[in-house]
Amino acid sequence: MSKRNAILAAATRLFSRNGFQGTAMAELSTITGAATGTIFHHFKNKEDLFLHVLKDVKESVLEQFDRHQQTCRNQKGIEMVEGVIAFYLHLAGTMEDQFLILHRHYPYQMAETSMVCRSHLESIYTCLLDIFEEEIKKGMQDGSIAVDSPRKTAMVLFAMVDGIVRLNTYRVYDAGTLYDSLITACRRLLTGGR
Amino acid sequence: MSVITIFSGIFCSADAVVRDVMDSTGYRLITDEQVILKAAETSGMPENKIRRAFSAKTSVFNTFTHEKECSIACLRLVLATELERGPAVVHGFCSLLIPQAVSHVLRVCIIAEMPYRIDQAGVVQGLTEKDASKQIHAQDADSAAWAEALFSVKDPWDNALYDMVLPMNRMDVAKAGALIEENLIKDAVRRTEASIQTEKDFLLAATVEMALSRAGHDVSVSAENGAVVLTINKQVLMLARLEEDLKSIAGAIPGVESVKTQVGKDFHQAHIYRKHSFEVPSRVLLVDDEREFVQTLSERLQLRDMGSAVAYDGESALALVKEDEPEVMIIDLKMPGIDGMEILKQVKSTRPEIEVIVLTGHGSEADRKRCMQLGAFAYMQKPVDIDELSDTLKKAHEKIQKFKT
Repeated sequence: MSKRNAILAAATRLFSRNGFQGTAMAELSTITGAATGTIFHHFKNKEDLFLHVLKDVKESVLEQFDRHQQTCRNQKGIEMVEGVIAFYLHLAGTMEDQFLILHRHYPYQMAETSMVCRSHLESIYTCLLDIFEEEIKKGMQDGSIAVDSPRKTAMVLFAMVDGIVRLNTYRVYDAGTLYDSLITACRRLLTGGR
Repeated sequence: MSVITIFSGIFCSADAVVRDVMDSTGYRLITDEQVILKAAETSGMPENKIRRAFSAKTSVFNTFTHEKECSIACLRLVLATELERGPAVVHGFCSLLIPQAVSHVLRVCIIAEMPYRIDQAGVVQGLTEKDASKQIHAQDADSAAWAEALFSVKDPWDNALYDMVLPMNRMDVAKAGALIEENLIKDAVRRTEASIQTEKDFLLAATVEMALSRAGHDVSVSAENGAVVLTINKQVLMLARLEEDLKSIAGAIPGVESVKTQVGKDFHQAHIYRKHSFEVPSRVLLVDDEREFVQTLSERLQLRDMGSAVAYDGESALALVKEDEPEVMIIDLKMPGIDGMEILKQVKSTRPEIEVIVLTGHGSEADRKRCMQLGAFAYMQKPVDIDELSDTLKKAHEKIQKFKT
């Protein structure tokens, strides 16, 4: 791993655990063994570093989804949607730091003033929702799904799944036990109770 | 033939004035009740929910249901449709719904001093002073909330909202009626081709607003010659998607030539904000061996949109100057190794365009003189007031910008 990537990986962990204010460059320097001068050589300042972390989160989450979508073609729309839901939950478990960053408040505050931050977040959500929407549309075509608005349904579905992930990230509840109920609820939502 | 709108306080004899005006002009009357009934009929929303739009109290669920905005959209649409049918007197809260752009409207406000209104309340309804004043205050609060909701104006009787404000404690009903009729024949309120177009645009905008509102959207809508502008008055991360949705709904409505979306001015988009932050330096290098102090300072500057980097000693500071080209440096004087004075000397001799602010805890008057001689931009003592430091940074930035141009 290059020095730069090592810094990014450690920064992802620190930002997700400690927040933006709570992440000190000195600590990052201790963890990575890189002098603060080196860190600032790669990243202009703390905000710049965070934006690179966010970009990294965006790229890795979307890349994972891309790969997942490639492997399961030729299924019915409803099965694809269920697959996406399951994969989202799986990713949230394996990429906990990245998801925790997305569930923290400060990136969204920063998005109000930073165009770069805003565009990273916007593309994360747009891509994820597009994936849901696409599979719902597919299901409408093959007759496995019946809803009025694929776009709005995609958002409701996403909010539900992401909400379950939050129960887990904030240790509100063991979300694993909700998996079956979630899938049943989604199925009902998508098929109109058929 | 024009339109007369009358917005009034209760117990100001407005009804009598309205009757007088109708008698002499032959105009038909459009009241809030009529508009509410029709709005309920066309939208399927219950009357009492629509009526609540006129109340200062908003339902706690409004942020999710947008009931108030939806009701207003409904009322606007009904009113715009009614106006198509020709001259009328619009009396009540609805009268404020017609956009200022529709110029063939004579906008009248009827109000009176408190003693007159309390007196009238006694004459008309036999109310005691206490009951009268209670009713007047409640009704005026609704009026104020209505003006605030529509124009962000606190005073519903504000001159700027009307062509004429008639104080009834200083004139009788006949005089008020005569004044209105006198102004009605003036050129400014005559129906022209342009003003008829604005009326059509009002109807179009109301139709679009209704359609969007039914889909759960809350945006303000204006139209000019069929070109519709939607203003999004909130922060939304997925702006592109929202704009897309709005455009697809509005674009499908007959008569809409084009749809443009924009973000309300209080809900800045990031790029607008960035324009603003040109006023502050974006590259500040902080040099101080007191790590905690300098990190806190760095974060506080970031909150003020000034990007900053930190160096804890003279050597790495000078290295960063070479690599990173800061605009402004803030340095401490006493540091191990290369001290602040030395940094100042080197920076000013090799990179005179960098402004250096000295920020020290133990400086003497002699230090101050020496620093300023070496070309420091400012010399400040710790503990420093963050606003004062921000100001100094802005000034340094201005100097640099001036030098560049």
